[in-house]
Order: sequence, then structure tokens, then C-alpha cells
Amino acid sequence: MPFPLPTPDPPLPLPPSVLKALLLGTFTLHLLAVNLGVGGSLLAATHALRGRPEDRELVGRVAPLLPAAVTFTINLGVAPLLFVQLLYGDFFYTASVLTAFPWLALVALLMAGYLLLYRFVGAVTAPVPRAGAGLLGALLLLAVGLLLVNVTTLSLRPDLWLAQAAASPRGLRLNTLDPTLWPRFLHQAAGILASAGLFLAGWGAWRDHGYARRVGLRWFLGATASQLLWGTWLLVRQPGPLLDVLLGGTAPASLALWCSVACGALGLFMAIPASERDAPARAAWAPLGLGAAAVLGMSLLREQLREASLAAAGFRAGDLPHRTDWPALGLFSVAFLGVAALLLLLRRWASQLVGGPGQGAP
Amino acid sequence: MNHPVWDLPLLGSGWLIGLVSLIHVSLAHLIVGAGFWLALMEGRAQRAGDGALLAWLRARARALLWLSSIFGASTGVGIWVAIGLASPTATQHLIRAFVLAWATEWLVFAGEMATLLVLVLAQDRLRPRQRLVVAWLYALCAWLSLVIINGILAFMLSPGRGWAASHAMLDGFFGATYLPSLLLRSAIALALGGLWALAAPNPGDLRARILRPSARLVVAGVLLAVPAGWFYFQSFPPAARELVLGNLRGATGLAQGFRWALLGLGAFLVPALLGLWAHARPATFHRSAALLGLVLACWGFGGFEWIREVARKPFVIRGVMYANGIRVEQVAGYQKDGFLPANAWARAFAASRGDTDLARGEALFRSQCLACHTRDGYRGLRALTAKNSEAENVRLLQARRELDPARNPSLDRMPPFAGTAQEAEWLGRYLSALSR
Repeated sequence: MPFPLPTPDPPLPLPPSVLKALLLGTFTLHLLAVNLGVGGSLLAATHALRGRPEDRELVGRVAPLLPAAVTFTINLGVAPLLFVQLLYGDFFYTASVLTAFPWLALVALLMAGYLLLYRFVGAVTAPVPRAGAGLLGALLLLAVGLLLVNVTTLSLRPDLWLAQAAASPRGLRLNTLDPTLWPRFLHQAAGILASAGLFLAGWGAWRDHGYARRVGLRWFLGATASQLLWGTWLLVRQPGPLLDVLLGGTAPASLALWCSVACGALGLFMAIPASERDAPARAAWAPLGLGAAAVLGMSLLREQLREASLAAAGFRAGDLPHRTDWPALGLFSVAFLGVAALLLLLRRWASQLVGGPGQGAP
Repeated sequence: MNHPVWDLPLLGSGWLIGLVSLIHVSLAHLIVGAGFWLALMEGRAQRAGDGALLAWLRARARALLWLSSIFGASTGVGIWVAIGLASPTATQHLIRAFVLAWATEWLVFAGEMATLLVLVLAQDRLRPRQRLVVAWLYALCAWLSLVIINGILAFMLSPGRGWAASHAMLDGFFGATYLPSLLLRSAIALALGGLWALAAPNPGDLRARILRPSARLVVAGVLLAVPAGWFYFQSFPPAARELVLGNLRGATGLAQGFRWALLGLGAFLVPALLGLWAHARPATFHRSAALLGLVLACWGFGGFEWIREVARKPFVIRGVMYANGIRVEQVAGYQKDGFLPANAWARAFAASRGDTDLARGEALFRSQCLACHTRDGYRGLRALTAKNSEAENVRLLQARRELDPARNPSLDRMPPFAGTAQEAEWLGRYLSALSR
């Protein structure tokens, strides 16, 4: 059923291409923070449950960073959400209303997950750490990802909207009519774990912490190997036209897909020797770089698939009218420079050596 | 108006926004005030060389981090979710108009969280002077966040002159209510922040040193809120002011709501008395009194927000878009050519119910009434139309098609019916069927 677009809203204040670049940039940053915050929480809670001395030492060092990472996960998640609503609002709002209750549940899950994470981190050095709370908190934060995937997948499939509305007029159901929902979520969850493992390995290589490097690479190995299952499942569940796009219909999309797969596979093979006890610390950097390239490639691919899906519904974000709002852009630029300067200042002050003249209490 | 409608029974989607918003805006204003309080107290403690007070303040900064990051940020996301579900068309319109304002606020919030994280996690690395500067930068970022969001809220009540033609963000931002609203919100923030400090657990030997300056903040906030509130009300568009003043008496739901809101505004004065008590007799002051003060202040704040929301009636963006997402300029076209032919989701809903007259009536009910009414709960139309015959309901709706306020007095609070005479009949039949 062709859904006509609403009567025109005010024009976009920036060219669509700029907004798309901002969407891609902020989404990639958000993804990095998710990998650190949510993936890091899963890893930390699992190692806390394991409870061996080396695990507890590792968790004690890593866990205090997690609440800040989750804070920035949320903050960096708001920006792409804003740009998605701006560029693809007709699709996004429709999808969110059609699956309203799960979408609303996101807020409760986010709050509960975050609260539990704080409780876990607050007792990380206690004789009995709250590992169960940490794991539950991390799983709730991961479930937030499921709800985001739920709305995103539905927003890309206008052909399913009427069936979804008929199946649940009040918006109680997940988008289970779309066969990509579960494989896409599992693909994403495995990616989060793999990336968190790589971050841990990178931190271990940087801080010369052999155990962190080894277990980080093992998490990466296990999670990336599982992508063979989730990734293939996701690929074969794509609708026919998108599968054509992925398998060579358009050069950029298939290039992004196969380059990402190649980077992931190469990183996997390089991670095997790098995760050995006697491997040099620098061996972790190649899998880390390849993993980052795979994540970037997948982000690009994601945008291309979105464009291809919506083009099939007769929509092109690039065609949206715009009129650059220079005064507002100027205000934003001033704020950007101000906050960048603030962050640099804070970084400088927060990394001062402890015990310098005049530090501590007055 | 080409989004599907979220049918939230009993409560209605408007109340959902109200609940999430009340929690978020109370927290957000409290955090702004608490940021200002933290910086003031840090300065006092440093000047006095009061190590015990400084240590206590660090625990407060940590509590503020919890409050901001867990509840403030999450309920902020909650507002996005709720408004997108309840009013997708208006939300999309606002995002188009103010995306750069939200983007700027996002930057400022990032600065707010970064300064607070440094205050909590890296406090021992900072020199005292630096700590004080970071505390003030935190307070500034929190307040700037209010400065920006206030512009969007003020726009919805009184879009700035020239915005309709230019669609330039700053033209819409600085409407008549911008400055009074900012003053009032800043005053409320001070009162809430001070009350939060009064409600915090404190060691007995520090009590006077904590309670007295905090109590002064509460009293100052409440006293400033009174003239700021008056100034704000005077800046309302005349139609909005008349809507409030003309509905203070009577037994209508609107009048009862206004009376509750006014009681809340009265309750907002009580924290000033509590502040005087905490200042004069800190040894006898109990935290539970401050908690009660917080509840009363939030009631008052909720009342103010309710009045602001209702004063916008029948619009969601005054003069631009009605509460049900129909733009002002669309009404004439819908009345001439029909609402259903132009709205795919309403047609789809009717078709899914067999495309009978009743199904079309229900589709119209969902699209044009559900934004403010429910079937059986809040402003339930089953009860409101129970005594009407079908002919009366149809006649009532035909009258609601009038665009001349002299012939349709409800236009000051309810959007006109945007459909043909035939569609009014379908809706009238559906409303009658509700009470059968």
C-alpha cells in the first residue's frame, strides 16, 4: 500500500547529504560507545562471575570505567536518533507507533540496566561482588539494542506495516513478521561482544596486561566465529532485492560487505596466535585495526541498505527540500567549538599527575 | 497526519507524555539548581578551608551523577519516545524546525556530563581552583541546556514573529514567552536544587553549614518564581490567557484541572517557609520536611506545566498545528474533500474493520479525537456523550465544523472537526454506538 508522505514540514536546515554524514558519524561513535559500555559490562560481569583472582583483578580495573561509557553511549545515541527522525521521520515514527509498547519499554530497560550496572560497579572490590546484578544489568542494556533493532527493521519494511497493525492494533508486538529481526539482533550482539573483546585486548596491550590481552582476543575469536552463523542467517533472510544489492547488485554495497567480512576473517586468523600466552603485546594491534575496519564497513553497509530499502518504497532522503539555516548553524558551531575546548581542558586537568603542588584539599 | 495512531486505552497518550515529562522536567530543573548549588557550596567550602564540607560535597556530586546519568538521561530519552508515539506529526515538525537547537543542547549536555564525571572521578587530580572552575562550568552547561530547551517549549505556546515565513530557527525561538519562561524556570530550578540539598543526609556537625546556604537558595528561588510567574502569565498570547481565566470556575474537567494546578502553585510557596525554618533552626530541621517540600514543589511545577500545556489548546503548536496533528491550513481541504480520502492510515483502519460507517467513524475518532480523549478513561467520550442521541451527536459535530469562533465557541479549546458533513455523521454514529 503506498503511504503518501505528510504535507511538507519546514525544510531541512542543512543539506540532506550533510545530515546523512552526521548520522553516519554520530552513529559510528555511538557504536563505539555501545561496544565499550554494553559489551564491556557483559565481559566484566562474566569475569566477575567466574571469580578467579586474575578475573577479579581485571574486573576491578575495568569496571569503574563502565558507567561513564554507558553515559556516553546514551548521549551519543541521541544524536543519530535525532538525525534519523529528521531524515527518515515518516518511516521511523510509523514503525515506532506500530510497535509502541516494546518501544516504550526501552526507557524502563535502560534505567533498570543502568541502575544495576552502577550497583555492580559500586561493589566491584567487595569480598562478594554483585556479579549477578552486573550480568542482569548488561543483559537489560543489550535488550535495549533489541528494541532499537525492532523499530529499525520495521521502519525499513513498509510492506509489513499493515500486517503489523492488524496483528496488534495497540502496538504490543515485536516486529516478528520480519525474518531479519532475530538474526540482525544476534549479529549485532555478537559484534558488540567481539568489539568489546578487541577493546579489552587493546587496553591489555597498551597497559602491558597479558591476561586482558589474551581474554579480550578470545572473546573476539568466539564472538566473531559465531558470526558465521548469525551473519549467514541474516544474509539469507534479506528480502530478494536487498540480497541482490548485497551480492553484487551495486558495487559500493557488496564491496562494503565483502571488505568487512574479509577484515573480520583476517582479524580472526591473526587473533589466534596473538591470544597465546607468549605472544608479543603488539600482536593484538592488527586484529584490533581489522576489527575496527570491519565495524566501519558494516556501518557504511547499513546506511546503503537503508537507502536501498527505502528507495524500493519510493523515498530518497536526498530529495528532501532544504534551506540552510546559517544563524542556527553558526550557533551550533560556536557551541561545538566551546564544548570541544571544554573537553580538551578537562582532559588536561584530569590527567595531571596526582600529588602536584596545590592538589587535593585546600 | 499520515502516521498511524497509538490507541492507549484509559490513560490516553497525552497523559503518558505528561507523566514522563513531569518526572523528567522536575529532575532536569532540580539538576540545574543543584549544579548551581554545588558550585556555590564548593566556593564557600574552599574559602573557609572546610575539608569536612568538601568531602561531603563530593558525595553529593556522586549522587548528582547518579541522578543525571541514570534517571535524567533515561527519562530524557523517554520524552523523545513518548512524544514520538503520542504526536508523531508534531514531533517531526518540531525536529525539522529545531534540529540544530537540539543538536546544540546535545553538545551542551555532553559538556555537562563530562564536567560532572571529572568532578566525581578525577576530583583528586584537580587543584582546588580548577575544581571550582569545573563546578561552575558544570552549572553553566546544565543551565544552558535549560536556555535551549526553553526556546522550543516557548515556541509551542507562542511561536516568534516571522517564523511562519522564514522557518529560521532563531525567529521561532525568541517568542513572547521566551524570557519570562526562562526566568521562571531558572527560579524553579534554584528552589528544587536547594530542596534536594536540604533533603540530603548530613552529619550533625555540618548541619548548619549545609542547611543555611541551601535554605537561602530555596527561599530565593520561590520568591523569584512569584514575579517571574506573573510576568510569564502576562506574556501569554491573549487567547491563551483568556482560556485560563475563563475556565477557573465551573464543574468541567478543565476547570477542575485548573483549580488543582492553582492549588499546586500555592503549594509551591510552602518550601519557602520550610527554607526559613531550616535557616533559622537548622538543628531542629528534619530531612523529611525537605522531602515533603520537594513533593509540594513538584506539584506546583506540574501545575505550571499543565497550565502551559492546556493554554496551548486547541493547538500543539499555536497557530500552526492542532493538538491532533492536523495543520491549520489543512482543515478547509479536509472539510471540502474529506479527511479519509487523504489519510492512508485512517482508510486502512476502516478497511480492516469492514469499511462500514461505524468503522469509518472509529477511524475518524482515532485520528481526530484520541489525541485528547479516550473512550472510557481520561476525558472519556463514552461518558461525555452518554446522554446524547445519535442525532444530537451528529449535530454537535456538524457545529464543530464551523471555523468562525462566534458560531463555534469551542474553537478556543478544541480543534474544528476536519471532515465533510458525511464524515461528521459517521463519527456521530460511532460516538453513539460507544454508549449503547
